[in-house]
Amino acid sequence: MKFSILACGGALFAWGALCGAQQPAADSAAPDSLKGVELKGKAPVNPQTLRVVLPRAQEATLSNGLRVALIEDHKLPTFSVQLLLTGGGLDDPGNQHGLAMVTASLLREGTAQRTSRQIAEQLATLGGAFSAAASPSSGETSIGFGGLSDKAPAIFALAADIVRNPAFPEAELQKYKSRFVSQLQQQRIQPGFAAQEEFMRAVYGTHPASYVVPPEKVLTDLTRADLERYHKAHYMPNNGIALVYGDFTLKTLVQELERAFGNWSQGAAPKLSLPALQPPSKARVLLVDRPASVQTSLWVGGLGIERRNDDYFALLVMNHILGGGPASRLFINLREDKGYTYGVYSVFNGSRFPGVVLASTDVRSAVTDGALQELMGELRRIGAEPVPDQELKNAKRALIGGFALSLESPQTLISNLATQKIYNLPADYWDTYPQRVAAITAADVQRVAKKYYDAGKLQIVAVGDSKEVKKVLEKYGTVETQGAGN
Amino acid sequence: MNRAVRIGICACLAAAVSASAAEPRSTPAKPVATVRVEFTETTLPNGLRVQLVEDHGAPVIAVNVAYDVGSRNERRGRTGFAHLFEHMMFKGSSNVGDGEHFYQVFSNGGSMNGTTGNDLTLYFETLPANQLELALFLEADRMRSLEITQKKLDNQRQAVQEERRLRVDNQPYGAADEHFDELFYSNFAYQHSTIGSMDDLNAASVEDVAQFFKTYYAPNNAVLSVVGDFKPDEAMALIRRYFNDIPRQSEPPTVDLNEPEQNAERRETMTDALARATQVQIAYKTPAGNAQDLYALRVLSSVLQQGDSSRLYQTLNKEKELTVSLGGFVDERIGPGGLYIGATVRPGKKAEDVEAAIYEEIERLQQQPIAEWELEKAKNTTRYGYLQSIRTAQARATMLGTYTVKFNDPNLINTRVAGFDAVTREDVRRVAKQYLQAKNRTVIVTNPAPPAAATPGA
Repeated sequence: MKFSILACGGALFAWGALCGAQQPAADSAAPDSLKGVELKGKAPVNPQTLRVVLPRAQEATLSNGLRVALIEDHKLPTFSVQLLLTGGGLDDPGNQHGLAMVTASLLREGTAQRTSRQIAEQLATLGGAFSAAASPSSGETSIGFGGLSDKAPAIFALAADIVRNPAFPEAELQKYKSRFVSQLQQQRIQPGFAAQEEFMRAVYGTHPASYVVPPEKVLTDLTRADLERYHKAHYMPNNGIALVYGDFTLKTLVQELERAFGNWSQGAAPKLSLPALQPPSKARVLLVDRPASVQTSLWVGGLGIERRNDDYFALLVMNHILGGGPASRLFINLREDKGYTYGVYSVFNGSRFPGVVLASTDVRSAVTDGALQELMGELRRIGAEPVPDQELKNAKRALIGGFALSLESPQTLISNLATQKIYNLPADYWDTYPQRVAAITAADVQRVAKKYYDAGKLQIVAVGDSKEVKKVLEKYGTVETQGAGN
Repeated sequence: MNRAVRIGICACLAAAVSASAAEPRSTPAKPVATVRVEFTETTLPNGLRVQLVEDHGAPVIAVNVAYDVGSRNERRGRTGFAHLFEHMMFKGSSNVGDGEHFYQVFSNGGSMNGTTGNDLTLYFETLPANQLELALFLEADRMRSLEITQKKLDNQRQAVQEERRLRVDNQPYGAADEHFDELFYSNFAYQHSTIGSMDDLNAASVEDVAQFFKTYYAPNNAVLSVVGDFKPDEAMALIRRYFNDIPRQSEPPTVDLNEPEQNAERRETMTDALARATQVQIAYKTPAGNAQDLYALRVLSSVLQQGDSSRLYQTLNKEKELTVSLGGFVDERIGPGGLYIGATVRPGKKAEDVEAAIYEEIERLQQQPIAEWELEKAKNTTRYGYLQSIRTAQARATMLGTYTVKFNDPNLINTRVAGFDAVTREDVRRVAKQYLQAKNRTVIVTNPAPPAAATPGA
């Protein structure tokens, strides 16, 4: 999609509604584990956790080897397709990080039969959606399209032309580069973006996973021949899987796909080889100076796990307790108890290579000291003390109960399916998920907290006004400073 | 095309009043797949309007409570109060502890939030279907018996001020965004920002909170919408049990939202220490959100600035390479709104050239009818967007409550698409001429300032 336009809509025109809310505060009546939340015990909670069964996908393979998985749902006359091609930025040549991304972005800028403008107009006329993305740190190129069921044949035909026959016109490539560079300057003035870039560099060093966006020099040097080469090597049916949600039967879907993609010819599918990863060997404190900033963005964390790692479920539960939402320790402490921030969260991710563990927040400059102290204190506490029983039970209940809500979300169901396929997880993976969550113990939580939020290897990144925050950061180590937007 | 897709089956219980719709103004040119959201409406003796949509498609329930109050109801010296008050609604009531509301929702696998806008304030939660009673209990208890203390107020004042720093003071162009309404509107109701000024937030007192609660958080000033996997008679029994005895209050004062007619362009230039590129913001005054012309204005906006097929994208961003990004929308308020256009200027290019190119495209819309494909684009995109937007139970609950408070017309959830389908190419040209005039326009150009030279605002 045109992330520029969407981003602009969000950043320039988020006027009007303000999302508020959620909160607790301290009360002595509550047990220690729930410090900050007062439970009066009168709310009529149904003690049973509603167990739900996620829909199983129906599968098929096209004559040319393209695998297909469908979650059939006729509730609304719409459909969406996600076509995943193995490769992505992780398969970029060592000196061309960003090639997969630019190839994906240029698909819709012209084919053998259609100009960029014709593609835009025809797609819009159908009311259809099309997007293609491959970040420099991704293991896949992801192509999405969808729309109204009664427009499906036309949307499939258009999408097939875009995916299979891109022309990568020279003029469009030049225009894209110029747009991208000017957008990048805009992104980098957002404190969150600057923090993300610095944090990824700190965790991954020179590994391609460190790239949020491609290096500018690489981008400007790319030629249409590079794009054509990447396309030829990766865009082939036997290197992909189409995950489909919506208003189709498997039979109709396969017919539509055969019509649009059936004569797409196979090739030698690439073998993804990942460069070796050098994990951070020591803790660091990094400051991105942002003069006139009234807040400090704090990102603290380190290297996490691959998606298939056995620690996944322990990390899932640990993260939920630490900062997985407004009922978490970080939120209750830093926002509700101390009033330092509007929001504070922790996340973790993982794919074919180890992801990150991360706790982050934005606080007014004057309370950077207290906020960082509390944040670091919570990271320490969850590794130092076993989580109390009730808090653990509630976290597991929330994670398992939340499955019911995912039944309403095609994005979640498709993303679950993608996870299972990409990482070769067992076919019953999502069915056994609740049991695996339920099996996590307090000792598991403590162990993974200690292991992944290891104080000796923690990366502390701050984006803020150096005049105000440098002294605070010095308490945590030697501060390495750089200017914003570099 | 001819199939009837039902999402949410009408349960014929209680006094199914309302649902009297604004008729589409003419027959749509093409048949539209008939997706309908069937709902019932009942009014409790205390004035609370209750809407139910039974839908067994997924084992979830969604509750939305829409209160007929927003920043439009704030008085001078108390800007930001409606939103600050919204935060207080999570701080506990007679039978619900401080923070317990969200704790119970999240601990049981649900999601929730509250949101405050110019026109209304919404509270909503989605939970697994076996927790309907919990959701209703939580909403009823705070409607009946909010607990207000100085300590809680001070605590949330800090959270809100931090939210202001995050969204306004620390954002490039945040100051310009906030100032835009001050220039665009003449009437105080919409002229001031929903987040409010730091001074006014500091001035808010517990007496203000108590008074605001009594005046606006009464059952007769609210709409309860419940969507999902439940039996309507059981849901209604629970709703009566928890909400019936919340006392009615006297009707809140009405607010005049009328704007004096604008006779000349309004324009300002600002500087921003956090910005690196020049930004141009333009808006034209448009009528109230339920005016018939809004349909044509939204089609116009789609043609002008929605997606990479749009005229502004193709001309300014792609062909002339004048902008980094651009986009906009038509807002939908109870009172007068605007058609907004925003653009960030590329390094080395001039704001005047961007503006001139935008006005050239607008003139084209006034001179010549839009193309057939452009009209089809607007209609198909709208229809697809609409179907996506009614997928979740929460979205339907929120939409019903919003349309009821804003326009007293919950059935807009079913009739709005037909309103778009009725728009003609000539309608678009007519509204372009009528509303997109220079004298009806407000413009703010924001230039980057070197950080050292500027002192950021409070």
